[in-house]
Amino acid sequence: MSTQAALLVSVLAFPGGLFALALGLALKGADRRFAARLQGRVGPPLLQPIYDLVKLGFKRTMVPLTATSQLVFLVTPLVALVSMLYAAALIPVPGLPAPSPQLGNVLVLVYLLAIPGVALMVAGSVSGSTYGAIGFSREMALMLAYEGPIVLVVAAVALRTGAAEGQFAVLSLTEIVRHQQVHGANLFDPVLWPALIAFVFFYPANLGIVPFDIPEAETEVLEGPLVEYSGPALGLFKLMSAVKSVVVLGLGLTLFFPLVPEGPLGLVVWLLEDFVLMLIGVTAVRVGIGRMRIDQAVAFFLKWPLVAAIASLAVVVVV
Amino acid sequence: MNILTKFKDVAARSPWLYRINAGSCNGCDVELATTALIPRWDVERLGCQYCGSPRHADIVLITGPLTRHVRDAALRLFEEIPDPKVTVAVGVCPISGGIFRESYATCAPIDQWFPVDVNVPGCPPRPQAILDGVAKAIAIWRARL
Repeated sequence: MSTQAALLVSVLAFPGGLFALALGLALKGADRRFAARLQGRVGPPLLQPIYDLVKLGFKRTMVPLTATSQLVFLVTPLVALVSMLYAAALIPVPGLPAPSPQLGNVLVLVYLLAIPGVALMVAGSVSGSTYGAIGFSREMALMLAYEGPIVLVVAAVALRTGAAEGQFAVLSLTEIVRHQQVHGANLFDPVLWPALIAFVFFYPANLGIVPFDIPEAETEVLEGPLVEYSGPALGLFKLMSAVKSVVVLGLGLTLFFPLVPEGPLGLVVWLLEDFVLMLIGVTAVRVGIGRMRIDQAVAFFLKWPLVAAIASLAVVVVV
Repeated sequence: MNILTKFKDVAARSPWLYRINAGSCNGCDVELATTALIPRWDVERLGCQYCGSPRHADIVLITGPLTRHVRDAALRLFEEIPDPKVTVAVGVCPISGGIFRESYATCAPIDQWFPVDVNVPGCPPRPQAILDGVAKAIAIWRARL
């Protein structure tokens, strides 16, 4: 019973749940403020994402008459958020107790990362809106393009770690972190550099950030799958994307660079790394360049990240 | 101060803007875009954000004299916006029809059709005036939450 309670706490409060929510919202706030500063503007307050959520709580949730199923329309955002809270509980955060192996390993995490995309697709198609349908088809095309590389990246890291540890593959994220703490970070392993490149491109595509925010483009398809959502239901999607940014950042740090000092200092360094990566790797890029077309993005993903991931995997298998 | 009032004060800091072009010449729309985007008059300071979908909107900015051709579509669009919402008429066209006032093809003044809360006159209005209008709209919106 107590282990089940502990699992529940780890999903709802720490390190998933509230912790991931707070960190995700802080990342979003910093992102908006930094983007404004890069454009020479003042920008919103750092707590703006929280204000937005409170505001959405006061608005009405409208279900369009064209929606094929009211139940699915309203449950979809909840499914997306819960899957991300679960995924956040799988990420090993330094300075905090390691995630329980009962929750799952990196394979579960890869599956969970696909759920918000599927939820967005369902949301877009169930709303009955034309723009939602366009967003649905774009999301699906993009997902088919980026899911392949991320699976190969995870496989490359797992096999590489496994080969060094004398097993076939190491799938536990905690084990992967422990291996790197002993043998040096994967970031400095040339064999895994192509995998790292593939992961860097996976990040904005999974999170729907420029240049890969094609399914949710405001100016083209009126925010695509989210077009019919209002009020608390929209707020759940915003929460989901906040937690997702933490999960994907955490996954990247775990796979490639988990070297931080021991204890609480490690947590501080880890949080700083999150913010630095977000501001330099995401905000500066999103302010600097425009949006790709869907055909360009799909062609791009099937060319470079996929090739890089396959190359990395092939080298890992051969060496 | 009870907790609900506090939450409402927080919520009032996140007004999302939605633009309806009801047959405008695009002058006011350019002013709206620059008011939001250029560094000097950044509306994001007030927590404002232009949103793509009418379902996400809190404050509606209507420009143009409401031509007959877009009237029904604009009315339908207005109804798609969830309550509570505030309407701001930007430019002189929504007030009187402006330079189009004698046209057979316009339905100005638009307050026959929409519950206008704030008028921002001008052809086109200056950015300061638009910001002032948005600030007034936020005050009205706060009372409606």
